[in-house]
Amino acid sequence: MKDHTIRRLLAVFLVIAAIFLSVAIAAVRNIDRSAASSDWVNHTHAVIDEAGALFAAIQAGDAALRTFLVTGDARDQAAIRDAAAQVDEHLEVAKALTRQEPESHQQFILLETLARQRAEFNNQIIAARAANDSAAMRTLLATDAGGGAIREFQRKTEQLKSTAMARLAEQDTANFLQAQKTRWTVWSGVALNVLLLAGAIWLIRDDINARRQLAASLQEANQLLEARVKERTAELVAANAQLSTENLERQWANQALEHQVRYNQLIIDSINDLVLVLTKTQKISRVNAAVIHLTGLPTTELINQPLKRIVRLAVPADSANSPLNDPLELALAEGRDLRDLPATLEDKRGKQTRVRLTLFPLRDGTKVVGGIVTLQLIQA
Amino acid sequence: MAAATFSFTRRLLAAAGIALAFIPGPLHAVTLDDLLKDPQMSPKRFANYFEDFRYEFGSPVQAPDEFLAARAGDCDDYAVLADYVLHHHGFNTRLIHVRVVGKVAHAVCYVQQNRAYLDYNNRRVFFTLTRSGPTIRQIAEKVADSLEANWTSASEFTFDYQQNRKYFGATVVKTDPPETDPDHAKDYRAATSSRP
Repeated sequence: MKDHTIRRLLAVFLVIAAIFLSVAIAAVRNIDRSAASSDWVNHTHAVIDEAGALFAAIQAGDAALRTFLVTGDARDQAAIRDAAAQVDEHLEVAKALTRQEPESHQQFILLETLARQRAEFNNQIIAARAANDSAAMRTLLATDAGGGAIREFQRKTEQLKSTAMARLAEQDTANFLQAQKTRWTVWSGVALNVLLLAGAIWLIRDDINARRQLAASLQEANQLLEARVKERTAELVAANAQLSTENLERQWANQALEHQVRYNQLIIDSINDLVLVLTKTQKISRVNAAVIHLTGLPTTELINQPLKRIVRLAVPADSANSPLNDPLELALAEGRDLRDLPATLEDKRGKQTRVRLTLFPLRDGTKVVGGIVTLQLIQA
Repeated sequence: MAAATFSFTRRLLAAAGIALAFIPGPLHAVTLDDLLKDPQMSPKRFANYFEDFRYEFGSPVQAPDEFLAARAGDCDDYAVLADYVLHHHGFNTRLIHVRVVGKVAHAVCYVQQNRAYLDYNNRRVFFTLTRSGPTIRQIAEKVADSLEANWTSASEFTFDYQQNRKYFGATVVKTDPPETDPDHAKDYRAATSSRP
């Protein structure tokens, strides 16, 4: 869930960045277009201004010419020259300004022709005035009666200006549409980005809620686990306590048992008669101190030895070699006592002592697992 | 104590004197002859002569001595005189007329050796020369920037004090592609830089 959310958020932010970049690029391009458009408008106004200034210079030259005709003053002639220079300057600039606009350029070429004609006319008049040739002056002025040439120049200038103004109006419309388009682009981009941001916020909110739920369930699971651990620990503590008690009891029981065994051994050892514990196969498993004393054999040489090694029953001569007639074996097999049977005890030096043998079967429950033999010395 | 104060004052005055010696101040050669005969003439030195001049707009270009005597004039007077004087001293100069929107057209004198132009508006600032590329378009853009205005066209011109008339040469139009500028070609700039 976490990875999905991050991927989605990344995608959303990438889209936002892309839109932001696109809007920025579009806005900058529109600004560049606006700047270019502004330059174009300035340029067109410059063309109109040059046309107006050109006509003004023509008029100034004409006025200076008429004054000069009256006064003949050199300063007025200089004013005509200045006006002619102004005309030349404005024509040069206007032609340069309209280099890339054939229609307007052509109109300025036409104005240049009219200006040259007017300059030629002015030169002729000035020459006539300088020569005081009144007739020539009158003839020349008659050709310009009514100021037809100036009016033609004015008409052409106005035509040029109106053409430029019409283009300005077209450009203004284009600028207006461009501005609208820029606004639309920017606001659309902003709106789209706001929507995407809202989506991103929704995703983040959703993810936070999911994380909260996950954290809550994790906490709950932890609490449950903790409770279980506590429960199990309590059980273990109780079991351990019980085990300790049992162990203690077992220790006590063992101690009591050992005590009992020692006590029993002490009792057995206190008996003057010889006491031997036999297995069912008549092997010695235990002896008392009297046996060790009288046989002179250590315990290690007695244990696991057959009883017959140290004790022999005094049996009749005809059954001495028959194992089926062994009274001890029969008694053990049948689980009955034998009492006061005559027998001999042989010590480690081979010395034989007469004894009376008594056998008690040793039972584990109902089963005979061995026997206890006591040997009583027969007093001489 | 008094002697020590006197000595300190003397040192202070001496230091102020040395400092003042390094500050470029107006030079008082106020005739055309003085300018033409100044052996150390340079664009920077020329500009220093005009630090105290006032701005006074006038349509025709003033005669040099008239302008220097009045200590007042406009960009045309300054640029044309700079062109005349510096060209006399061996500098390759060009006169550029820049038309800006809503203002009077502005003239500057470009000095090829310095790759900078002299502008009457900068006569009182420390950097009297403004660095610029050699084309009319580059100069026009710099001038328009300094005036915080848009330019529409700029022309190179010469001025003849005898005729008292400007002669316009190449004109560059802002909206035209720069590669169509008359001075775009290198040979044009080479030709103008070696003007007789």
